[in-house]
Amino acid sequence: MINFSHVSVSFRGQPVLADVSFHVNPGEFVSLVGETAAGKTTILRLMYFDLRPDQGEVSVGTYTSSLFRKKDVHLLRRTLGIVFQDFRLLEDRTVYENVAFALEVTGAPPSEIGQRVLRVISDVGLSHKRNNMPNELSGGELQRVVIARALVNSPKVLLADEPTGNLDPATSMEILQLLKAINGSGTAIVLASHNYDLVRRSESRILKLADGSIAEIDPQQL
Amino acid sequence: MSLMYVVRESLSGFNRAKFAALSSIMTIMISLLFLGIFYVIADNTSRLVGSIRERVEMEAFLDEPAPKAKIADVERALTALDGVDHVEFVSKEAAAKIFREEFGEDIMSVLDVNPLPPSFKIFLKPEYRNTVKAEELHERILAIDGVQSDIFRKDMLQFIEKQSRALSLGGLGLGILIAISAIILVSNTIRLAIDAKRRSVQTMKLVGASRWFIRSPFILEGVIQGLLGGMLAALLMYYLLTFVTGMISGELAEFLRAELSFYGLMTLAGTALGLLGSLISVRRFISDAVAG
Repeated sequence: MINFSHVSVSFRGQPVLADVSFHVNPGEFVSLVGETAAGKTTILRLMYFDLRPDQGEVSVGTYTSSLFRKKDVHLLRRTLGIVFQDFRLLEDRTVYENVAFALEVTGAPPSEIGQRVLRVISDVGLSHKRNNMPNELSGGELQRVVIARALVNSPKVLLADEPTGNLDPATSMEILQLLKAINGSGTAIVLASHNYDLVRRSESRILKLADGSIAEIDPQQL
Repeated sequence: MSLMYVVRESLSGFNRAKFAALSSIMTIMISLLFLGIFYVIADNTSRLVGSIRERVEMEAFLDEPAPKAKIADVERALTALDGVDHVEFVSKEAAAKIFREEFGEDIMSVLDVNPLPPSFKIFLKPEYRNTVKAEELHERILAIDGVQSDIFRKDMLQFIEKQSRALSLGGLGLGILIAISAIILVSNTIRLAIDAKRRSVQTMKLVGASRWFIRSPFILEGVIQGLLGGMLAALLMYYLLTFVTGMISGELAEFLRAELSFYGLMTLAGTALGLLGSLISVRRFISDAVAG
């Protein structure tokens, strides 16, 4: 599904990743852990091709970094769902419109949009708030909208970059349960987090980043 | 991609930055109006210059006495020259008649003799109606046996050439300058639109919108601004010319006319300026990176 092969990345001469290799299987739940600036976000950016490796190769589905043309990046991103800590919702649109936006921009037939949006909003438990504006929602609700937006295109992988970074512990657990449910329905999940408690409860394969290297660890080692 | 979406998004740009959009439209309008006025003047001046050039002729005076056989020889030699379109013979009598018409006096009664030599009026082919070519021809005419002298209005030709070149160069320079400033302004308005929509552009990139899908509303916004500016300029130009030609009359009014296609061209030029301005901004300010 996702394969990193001997990937190295530096920023302004500082190595962030050095000869990193790992893979994520279809339908798998993988957590990336590490201190702040360990390179978790860099790995996610490599996955949605916002960044190219200095050395090595990243493959996501049928797309390979070394053969990839920049103008085709949208084709890769349509196979992914991306969730951010800072939500990145459009403040001047309702919950429904924010989710529908992801379908509109990919050219989905208008006749399908309504049904798909309502279903995914219901899946994340926000049917009653579909006409609310983002500023009328709590942090947890906002993150649910972002997850709904990421899921509406039926992605094969959901990339989540610190999805609970701005949320209280109870809401964080709710979001984790939602992610686990999504994974249960067959979508692979890559979760980047420094919330070790959350990761321990995720029952996922854990990859730890430190000093530019990556290693698989047991939950007990966290 | 839904066309409705692109149109809706580009119109929302007008709503969001009304003043910037309006100033772009006005700049395009003023630029094109200015260019249009200049073009009408330059176009009509060049037509006037053309008609003056048509009247450029030479006159070769013959040695006297000039028997018929000699006159026929000179005529043959003249018409054989490259650049000579046709010639007209002016006999001594005809010359005296022209003198009478021009000065109101009979030269015979003043001098008792007719000192005016017979001559050939020489009409030039269009490509010879310039100083360099006419000068060459002049030398070759003088070399013909039986030709005493040859005159032509070299100073007039030089004057026309100098003025029309200055007008064309000045117009071109001014036109380029005005067009560049209009493009910069449209480009800046589109940049403001891109800045205002930065978050939605980022979101579009994340969810897999194509490059064309992200860029087209901004490009259309520039095109609409250019189209409106061009249409307004064409409309104003039409009323301006109608107003001015209504106030003056005769040849001067003719001097200020413009073809209908000219107004279409103005609108098209506005659209092109808008398109160029928006393309520049879109290429510069929307990168493919999500973070960019």
